[in-house]
Formats: sequence, C-alpha cells, structure tokens
Amino acid sequence: MIRPAFVFNLLVVTSFPALCSGQATDPPDYEKQIKPLLARHCYICHGALQQKGGLRLDTADAIRKGGHSGPAVKPSDSAGSLLFQAISGSGEVTPMPYKRPRLSDAEIALLKRWIDAGCPAPENEVVDESLSRRYSHWAFLPPVRRPPPMVQGNDWVRTPIDRFILARLEAVGLAPSPEADRVTLIRRLSLDLLGLPPTPEEVAAFVNDPAPDAYERLVDRLLASPHYGERWGRLWLDVARYADSHGYSIDAPREIWKYRDWVIAAFNADLPYDRFVIEQMAGDMLPNATLEQRIATGFHRNTPINMEGGIDQEQFRNEAIYDRVNTTGTAFLGLTLSCARCHDHKFDPISQREYFQLFAFLNNCDEPTLDIATPDLIARRDALRSQIRVLEEEQNKYYLDKLSRMSEAEKSRVKPEIIAILSLGVEQRDEKQKQAVVEAFKDDPAVVERAKTLADLKKRLPKFPTTLVLQERPKPRETRLHIQGDFTRLGDPVSPGVPAVLHPLPSDPNPNRLTLAKWLVDPANPLLARVTVNRLWQAYFGKGLVETENDFGTQGEPPTHPELLDWLATEFIANGWSQKAIHRLIVTSAVYRQASRHRSDLVEKDPNNRLLARQNRLRLDAELVRDAALRASGLLHARIGGPSVFPPQPDGVYRFTQLQKTWNTSTGPDRYRRGMYIHFWRSAPYPALQVFDAPDGVNCCTRRTRSNTPLQALTLLNDEAFLEFAQALGRRLLREAPGSDADRIVLAYRLCLGRSPSPEESDRLLRFVEEQRKSFKEQPAEAAAFAGRTETATTDPIETAAWVALARVVLNLDEFITRE
Amino acid sequence: MHPKDQALLLETRRHFFGRCAVGLGGLALAGLLDRHLFADPKPASPLAPKPTHHPAKAKRVIYLFMAGGPSQLELFDYKPKLHEFNGQPIPESFLKGKRFAFMDSFTKEPPKLLAPKRKFARHGQSGAWVSDLFPHMAGIVDDLCIVTTVATDVFNHAPAKVFMNTGSAQFGRPSFGAWLTYGIGSEAEDLPGFVVLQSGPRGPRGGSACWSSGFLPTAYQGVPFRTTGQPVLNLASPQGVSPQRQAQTLDVLRELNLKRLAETGDPEIATRIASYEMAFRMQTSAPELIDLSSETRETLELYGAEPGKVSFANNCLLARRLIERGVRFVQLYHTNWDHHGGPGEDLEHSLPAVAKEVDKPCAALITDLKRRGLLDDTLVIWGGEFGRTPMGENRETTGRNHHIDAFTMWFAGGGIKSGQTVGQTDEFGFGPVEDRIHVHDVHATLLHLLGLDHKRLTFRFQGRDFRLTDVHGEVIRKLLA
Repeated sequence: MIRPAFVFNLLVVTSFPALCSGQATDPPDYEKQIKPLLARHCYICHGALQQKGGLRLDTADAIRKGGHSGPAVKPSDSAGSLLFQAISGSGEVTPMPYKRPRLSDAEIALLKRWIDAGCPAPENEVVDESLSRRYSHWAFLPPVRRPPPMVQGNDWVRTPIDRFILARLEAVGLAPSPEADRVTLIRRLSLDLLGLPPTPEEVAAFVNDPAPDAYERLVDRLLASPHYGERWGRLWLDVARYADSHGYSIDAPREIWKYRDWVIAAFNADLPYDRFVIEQMAGDMLPNATLEQRIATGFHRNTPINMEGGIDQEQFRNEAIYDRVNTTGTAFLGLTLSCARCHDHKFDPISQREYFQLFAFLNNCDEPTLDIATPDLIARRDALRSQIRVLEEEQNKYYLDKLSRMSEAEKSRVKPEIIAILSLGVEQRDEKQKQAVVEAFKDDPAVVERAKTLADLKKRLPKFPTTLVLQERPKPRETRLHIQGDFTRLGDPVSPGVPAVLHPLPSDPNPNRLTLAKWLVDPANPLLARVTVNRLWQAYFGKGLVETENDFGTQGEPPTHPELLDWLATEFIANGWSQKAIHRLIVTSAVYRQASRHRSDLVEKDPNNRLLARQNRLRLDAELVRDAALRASGLLHARIGGPSVFPPQPDGVYRFTQLQKTWNTSTGPDRYRRGMYIHFWRSAPYPALQVFDAPDGVNCCTRRTRSNTPLQALTLLNDEAFLEFAQALGRRLLREAPGSDADRIVLAYRLCLGRSPSPEESDRLLRFVEEQRKSFKEQPAEAAAFAGRTETATTDPIETAAWVALARVVLNLDEFITRE
Repeated sequence: MHPKDQALLLETRRHFFGRCAVGLGGLALAGLLDRHLFADPKPASPLAPKPTHHPAKAKRVIYLFMAGGPSQLELFDYKPKLHEFNGQPIPESFLKGKRFAFMDSFTKEPPKLLAPKRKFARHGQSGAWVSDLFPHMAGIVDDLCIVTTVATDVFNHAPAKVFMNTGSAQFGRPSFGAWLTYGIGSEAEDLPGFVVLQSGPRGPRGGSACWSSGFLPTAYQGVPFRTTGQPVLNLASPQGVSPQRQAQTLDVLRELNLKRLAETGDPEIATRIASYEMAFRMQTSAPELIDLSSETRETLELYGAEPGKVSFANNCLLARRLIERGVRFVQLYHTNWDHHGGPGEDLEHSLPAVAKEVDKPCAALITDLKRRGLLDDTLVIWGGEFGRTPMGENRETTGRNHHIDAFTMWFAGGGIKSGQTVGQTDEFGFGPVEDRIHVHDVHATLLHLLGLDHKRLTFRFQGRDFRLTDVHGEVIRKLLA
C-alpha cells in the first residue's frame, strides 16, 4: 500500500483574484473587469429583475444615475461614492451585498480604481437582461451560511442538519420516522462507510454497548478503517472514469492501478479535498512534486485511447482533451460544459470561447508512462532495452541482406506475410510478427542464435509497475477555438481563462493547469463545495439535495433544502475540506438514522421522499454485492490495493468483442478480492459488475443507476463465483454452528443480514433444508456436484449440499443486497 | 419526454408487477399490496408495452449489421464509369477538405480510381442493380428499398459503429434498440426486449457500446445471446440444481421476499420478485429458443441453417424466432466486411466469401417473414457503419478505404416503400447527387415507422433533453409506403 506523502510546501491556497491586467495604473476595463464583478455580486438585487432601492447597476449610465438615495458613484471620488461606501463598509450606508459574502479586497480595490479613474465605460451600452437572469442563478452565487432554523421537535435533533430537515417536515405537517434498530444501524453504517457488512461479533458488540456514545464511537471506528478508502475511493473512481484498458475498438490492457491505489490512500488519509483536487489536476506541476503527486495526475489519464488502425492521431488527442474539460466541469463544477464545445451554451452563461479557454489549460500536456521503480532498476531496464534494440536492428539488417541476395525463385518461396512484415520498420513489428520471421528463417543458424540471445535479454528485463500520468510541456501549444467543435476547423486563438460568470482566476502571469486547479479550489468558487457535499449526501440517501447532481446550471433541479446545502458547503470549506468530517456529520444526524420503512402517510404528501421523513432502502452497488457475499461466506481476502485481479467469470464474455481478452482466472487469495479490484475491460466489463450497473469507465459517472433485472437474478443464482460463495457459506454454517438446524439458520442470517430470523422465517427455511436434504439423499450425484469441495473426508456431501442450498437462498434475498 | 413524465416513469418503473406477477400468484401479491400503502400510479414494468406517438406501421426491428463497412461499389451501387477511369487519379476537386482513415496511404500519392470487381445486372420488376455477389438477394429485390446515398460523420470503425447505433460518435449514448424499448417497451413475456446476436470471425469493434443503454436505465440495454452453448451468461443452473430444485429455491425466495415486502412496503421488492420469476422462465425459454431442431427441414434449407453451429444463417432464423416471441429489437452483427486489400481483407476472395455467408440467409429471412405474414409489421435493416471509397487502397493487394459520403443500406417490411432504389451518387460513386440521407435521417425515418416522433422521444440528462437524432434528422418521405 502506498502512503501519499501529503507534504505540501506550496499550498496556502490563495483566493487572490487577479483582476489586474496590464499596469496597475491603467483604469480597469469596464466590460472585462467591472461588469462581470458587478454582475456576480449585485445584479441579483440591482439588475433587470429587481431594482432594490430603485437602483440598478447593469449599465454604467444606470450606475451614474443611481437610485432613491441618489447617484451611486461620484466619478473620480471613490470615498464620496455610495457604491464604494457600501461595498467597503465605510460611511453611513448599509454594507453590501446585503446578507451575502462581501467582495474580496482585490475586487473592492478594483472598483475603487475604476471610480477614481472617472468611471470610464463605452458609449451606447445596451441593457442585457439575460445577463441579470443568468448571474442570478442560485448556484453561481456564493453559498450563504444561515443559522439552522428553530424547530418544534428539538428532542429529535442531533446535528444542525436535522434542524434544516425537520423545519421543512414540520412546515408540511409530517413527522420524521423513528430511529432504525441497532442491527439495521450498524449494517447501514458498515455498508455505507466501508462497503462491507458487519460481522456477527461487531453487531453483538454494538447492540450490547450501553454507552451513550456507542453510535458515535462506532462511526469513528469505521471512518478509521482502511476499507473506508476502498468504499469512497471507488465512488471517486466512477467520477474519474477509471478502467484497466484503453477502450475504443482495440481495448488493449493498461496499467494505471497505482492511481486507483493513490485514491484509496488519499481517502484514508482524509487528504483535504482542495489538495485532493489540485494533485489530481496538476500534481506534476507542484514544486518538487513527489512520486505520489505525479501518480495522482492519472485522474485525467483515464481517458480512452484509440489504437484502431488508420486513425487521425490529432483527432483522438483532441477527444481526450474534450473529455478532460467535460469531466472537470462535471466533477468539480457540476456544470454541463460539454454543451459549449460546439456553440455557446444554450442555457448556462458559458460561451464557446470560454469552453476553449478552459481547453487551453489542458491542451498543454504530454502523456508519459511513469516507471515506478528505483533509478537503478530503471537504468538496468533501459540498458537492456538498448542492447535489444541494437541486436534487433542487426537481425533485421541480416534478414534484408539475405532477402536481397535471393534469386526470384527463392524469393517466391518466402510467404507474402513475411515480406510484408519485413517491409515494416523494426519498431512497428509486434512480438508475434518478429517470431513469425524467425520461424520463417529457422533453418539459418545465425538467425536462430541471435533470436535466442534476444529472448534471453528480454527475459532479463526487470519488471516493475508503471502508471499513466500527465506532464506539462515546456512550451505551451497554441489553442484555437474549434468552429462548431470540429478540431479541423480552427478559429481564433484563445488564451487560458475561466467563465466570467464564476469567480476570477488567481493572479498568475502565465496561467497554466496548476492555476486552473487552484481556481477550482478557491473558497470563492460557489460550486465546488456544493457539488461535492451534494454527492456525499446522494450516496447516503439515494438522491442529492440537488437531484441533478451533475447539473447545477439553470436547467438543473433546484435544491430541495437550499439552506442546508449551503450550510454543508460552507462547513466543508470551514473544516479545512475534510470529507471525513462531513461524513461524520451526516451519519450522526437523526435524519440519517431514521428507519427506511415506507409510510402510507407519505404516499400523498411526499411520494418521492424528497423531504426525508424516512431513510431510503438502497440496492448495494455492483462491487458491494460481491463484497458482502465474500464477507458473509468468510472468503474475503481483504488486501488493499495492488494489480487488478481476475476472479471466475462465465464463458463466452468475449464472443462479442473485437479481440479476445486474456482472463487468466485468479487462483489463490486474489480470487476472493473485493469487486473494485476486478480487472475492468471497457469493451466487455466483468458481467457480474455490469449487470448491477457498474459504470462503463468511459464517461465521468456521478450517479449510478439502480436497475432491477432478471439478469441480476441469474447472476446471483447461477454465476460460478456466487456459487462458490454459497458453497463456502454452507460449509461455514456446518463448521461454525454444529448444533441444530435452527442454529445454523440463525448464523446464516447473522452473517448475511446482521439480524436473527423471525420464527416464521426460521420455520420456512427449516422446511427448505429438510426438503433439500431429502432430495439430495435421493440424488447423491447431484449432492456431490453441488456441494463442491467438502470440508473433510468425513463431511457428508448430502448434508453439505443441503446447507449450500440454504446459503444460496440467503445470498439471493432482496434484503441481502439492500442497505436498509 | 417531459421531465416530469420521465420522473414518473422512473418512479413507476419500480412499481412493476402487472403481468410479471401472474406467475407468482398475482392475486396474493396484489392483495397484500392493496392492504399496504400503494395509492401509487399504475404499476408498470420498465419493459411493459407503451403507447406510440402515432399509429405504428412497424412493431419490431431486425437489424442486419454488416460490420466493417461493405463495399457498395461491389454490391449495389453500379458505377461503369469506374471501368473507364480505372487506375487514374481521382480529380482533386473530390478530395478537397475530405479526411479519410489511413490518411498516409492517400497522401503518399494521389489515390487512383478502382473499377468495380464484380458484374452487375438489373433485377426484379423494379430493375434494381445488384451485383453477382448477391444472387439470392437479387431474387427478392422487389421487397427491398435500396438507398445508395446514406452518409455518416465518422470514418473509423468503432466510432462509426457507435455513431450508426447511437447517433453520436461519443461512447456512452443509448443505442437505437435501447431508445426503442425505452419508448415503446417490449411484448416479450420471458425474453429481453433487445437481443444482440453475433457471427463471423470476431465481435464488432466498439463492443458493448454498440448496444448500450447509455444514460437510459440499464433495463433497456441489449442482451447478447450466444447461439451455441448457453445463450445468456449464467442461464444454466449450477451442477446439481435440477429445474425442480431451482423451483424450490425460487419458492422459498419468493415467500421470504414477500414477507420483507410486507414489512418494508418497498415496491422495489415486488420488482425483485418479478425479476426472479422472469429469470426462471428465461432458463426454459432461451434454450428452447436457440434450439433450431424444431424447425422444418425446408426452413433450415431455406436459410442454410445448421442446428448447433454459429453462423449468420442460424442467427437470421433465430431473429425470426425471437420476434415471434415478442422481442422488440433484434440486432445481428456479422464480421468482417473491412476490405482494405491484403490477406483476409481482399476484394477478390474475402469479399465474395463474406457475401456468400449473408446472401442466402438475408433473402430467406425476407421470404420467411413474408410467408408468415410478419414482414408487414417488421422492419428489416441491412447495412454497415460506412461504405468504401471509389479509389483503390494499395496494401498487399488493392482494396478500398473507408468512405462516409455515400454508401448503401437497404430496408424492408413494415411501412417501407419497397421495390425502389432511392438516391443517386455521382459517376464515381463518391458522393450523393440527389437524396443525401444522413444517419440521423435514417434514425428519424425508422422511428417514425415505429410510431415515434424522433423529436419527442427524449430523455433528460445533464440538463438537456437528449434524442437519438441529437438536434438533427428528418423523416424521409420517399422511403415510406
């Protein structure tokens, strides 16, 4: 396991708006600098939609004219201008923006200079009403932290979150649900925080813990578990579109699991989210970047690579960058930037030009493969490689000489494929082709001798992991706008920049990818914290406070609890971007701890449970379906990280892919690793993951769908891997509960569901076991086949088969694959 | 679809027992649920048949996907002028501003025109041109509507296949079959609504992206059926589990799940129960489906099908069997049509070989559907992801490069005006002279025949209403009967 060295010299993240272009003495540019600033902070109350105090600030004329209190500015006299007094908090006027965050010092200084310069502005400025509308969109305004509301049901309240939720419920006359029972709570918490169900011992310890803080201590223990990083890391890998192959048609394997492990370690270390973002966006550009910081840039190397013959390389280089822009938008801003690739965004204030300004930040990297080894080892590898290269060239020269000396008749006996291979350069031939040529000349001892030496050299090549990273080019590429999003139709050059609707870029003479990363995590960013806490919330309740978790733009759904969203977002920033702190806050809340049982009184008033008068039952994510079965059966090999693994999968997966994939089924412990470590081929994902809605690893995925299909049933009932889990669980029941049938059924329930069966359930399962025992007795061959490996020579295969059948039932229960 | 309706659909999707409950003592379940909390909207399976926008001419689709890009110039689009200009460089005016796959092979020297390798003749009452590679198809040509001027946007295999299926070259969008089953559901009781079959030496490039449900719920994803062995992954019960034992397992599962349903009131459990029931039925119906031994000898011979083999002929017959069982969309991939020249991809031997593999079964499918009265409301589509250039491409032998400006597809059945060739390409077959029909137009037209307005079949995703036809597409009236 790697431990990222999160030593971070540089980062006192500056929220220093770079509002100064050119000389500090030049008057600020009204269109480029003053207007966006006023739009962001003031238009919501003093624009086309509203004119509080009779004042509007959306044209320079209107500013000069002022409102009920008189002109807003006295040109050349900032101190005497109402506008300046209001924003700087000097003078008698009410400080502005009213009840919203104040302008930054740099912004205030900029306005001051503009007023002192005489308020220069272009003639004939026209009112653009849409500007007011777009800038007034809630998500583009900074979050406002309001105190949690007062509520009637103070007894219920455990955290500030609960006040926001309860206030809404009380307003519509709904009561929250009672707290879930303790077994449900520990299973819910374990699945949510670790992605693994609790063991019976863990359940018993918690249920019997009389301490008033038993729940909070449980939360702390789980948050400190290394499995926390796996559970939450996997959700981040959805966003990062992580996969173990290149995608497109060839879909060759790739090695980038070091990035996956970096993510897990970052979550476990609770790496502050601002650093988490910066290192992934631009870790390579940090001063004295560590190995881990470079590995982190694998985030944007998860883009597919097209290796199909005959492609235009430049086209797919651009495709990857579009993807990086779009993913940056979705992951960190909750914005549908991709809409602005071909034209100005139809709904949100993002122009096509701004899209390509963002593109310009990301258009300047090389995409190397990083060797993860000691310098010695790398040097040895490189030396061997150059030896190999020399020898291969020598071999090739020998072939060509030989060919040129042949008579026409001799030549005609050489297969055309071989001639074709020899017409390629040595670099272009793959190993198979090289082997074919050796084979064709196998009568020539000189060829065979050299081939043998080469094979020996290749065998001696040291093996070590590699990973894909970004590396900034010393000289930036020129970025031009792509007319209608077509990279072959280049428009005007654009320089790196950010959408005007958002906060300004930090000051930097040569803004680059690192500047963009710092801009993303600037506390002035109204989106990053909101979008992130919303995704965390979504994982706990099934839907976010903003249901359109990937669209905070004007077409997205407004938040159900806007004050709560803003409270959480500001809390996130204030706590130093600690995700664990937010997790703790949410899972210790009363709203999270509610029972999930449906209530008839909610059907009318809140059919979709948006007000959260109860918890939601959620089907487990694809990997967790496997993980839960591994844990219950006792097979789980809990190793964290490392190369991807190949557990059994059904035959025939690759009959539908262009190229056959290798799937050397893991034997030994790797067969029983968690679902997140299964090698993910983009063109043909592991079927048991795919049927349970694992994302495709191609597009940034911020929310998984939860389908419920017959193919899922077939997987749990019949898949080889799941049969193996049932067999192991059956054997475990026999081994660990040697008493009565009823005891074994209790153990099965405790291992799988955390709880004990009801008498009815127990009776029904007892009848089932008896029925199976009887029929296996009549069909001993079926019993032997179904029971699989039996524990010892003396274990009765019929008895084992009956308990495997029972185990298979429990592993197929809806409750087993559901977080209640 | 209006976002509100969409939300309703996704919510009600959960409340899916209706017809699936029949197999599980529907009355008991319904009674239990009535006692419970559901004053909810009508129960509906995600795949339950749904009303169309307008009366449909076609109820189902069989899509014969010729993967790799068949050479229209050796099959349907007869260009005698190419004989005359064989070996001469194509006039530069044709190439201006064009991009091709394997660009370097064209930039080394100006590409030269290549004469058609096959003999052509007119066939049927319609007098359609068909080459000697398709003698059987020539015999049913009056049932076809041949379009020689289809155009697409992308010229590499995987993106082009994804484009032909989803209307976008970007991976991750829903495919035609997914849109259709999302739009109108399926009539299959115990099979998926969208089934994919494969034949030829390898799977299609692009893989599962070609039948993806994209951002639509995964219930609409194409389900690959293997035509030998187990048709669906994990279809067979484990060793030692007889149908009876599987039934006993499902019985106890249903009872315990029902109990849980009563306790939690979560309709998702009812869906889970129904999914298990359908899975169980599939375990019987799918092997029965792929077992061709119940077909008459005459039918097997008509297709050239041989039970137990993997072949395009078997798949054509399976396609008929699938639609007979209510499956909405069957897509057959056959590889490999990528005739660049050289071993395995030459125009002289490889092309005739693959043409022979599909010719008879395609014609048989049309004939068989027709005599069973199924052709009237079944749409049959034939075509690849693009076509091939009038210029030769020099590899070990001369073949043709990928070409996107004009290539041939044909359509037959429900609502298609058969017995006509639509579109006119220029004298070299490079580009359309009249009736350029873009992939988006093809999609719009086919959806129209299936009773759907391509502008109204939408899904809200990332703040935008997405369509199969993006922001394009026109219904091509000429194709309609």
